[in-house]
Amino acid sequence: MSKHLKIALVDDDIPNTEVLRDFLIRNGYSHVDKYHDGESFLESLDRFDERAVVLDFDLSGGGDLNGLEVLEAVKERSPSTHVVFFSGQDSLEVAVESLKNGADDYIVKSNAAFALVKTSLDKVYDIQILRLNERRSQRISWLMAIGWMATIAGIALYFAGR
Amino acid sequence: MEIIERLSAGDPEKKKYYIRLFLDTLEPELENLRGADIASNQEPIRAILHKLKSQVQTIGAREAHAIMAQHEQRIKEGGQIDQAQLDEVCRLLSELIDNMQEQLK
Repeated sequence: MSKHLKIALVDDDIPNTEVLRDFLIRNGYSHVDKYHDGESFLESLDRFDERAVVLDFDLSGGGDLNGLEVLEAVKERSPSTHVVFFSGQDSLEVAVESLKNGADDYIVKSNAAFALVKTSLDKVYDIQILRLNERRSQRISWLMAIGWMATIAGIALYFAGR
Repeated sequence: MEIIERLSAGDPEKKKYYIRLFLDTLEPELENLRGADIASNQEPIRAILHKLKSQVQTIGAREAHAIMAQHEQRIKEGGQIDQAQLDEVCRLLSELIDNMQEQLK
């Protein structure tokens, strides 16, 4: 089943990004963009960006911005964007700093890392589906209320006309 | 190469594609490590080790990953690695590259 969650991978590690992208596609995520530096990703970001972002900390092989600076810019421009930090830095300081700056998850690159990224994105996808269902049921409630009001108004007009 | 095996799902061409993708980075970086000046600032060596560490891990080279991570950490903490340690990294990387090239045949 195809999952309609758009994902942006921001990592200067070209082969690993390619492999992660294929891994996510194989696991049902059909829309996965790749960026090898923070600057080109930020250029593509808009205010209502619905993508979940998987962001590396050390982007020195790409551009001038590091992952924390990109995270800061993302949260400033599009606060609701879900950001998963995906880093080779097995450092508590970097993890705390990224979570304090609004990252939703922090995953250290390891043997199981791709599966952990998928699990994290699955959670985002589940939340997105819940919100969508919530909006749908709200809409149905509104339509039902309007229907009832129209029925009552119709009955009232009928009796008023008699 | 478990992840590569799984993603290529028995498709030899796809597997070769992934191997080439990694070789494109590993080969030039091995040359950069061989030419690195161990006596001066080791930050460029640390940056290469950081970059390669994740890649060799994906390929499944656990020993190379552990040694690279250890040396990267040492330089990050202000320490230095010596020529013998750098040579060992280059040897492991070279063996890995040979093994990957063998799989392309």
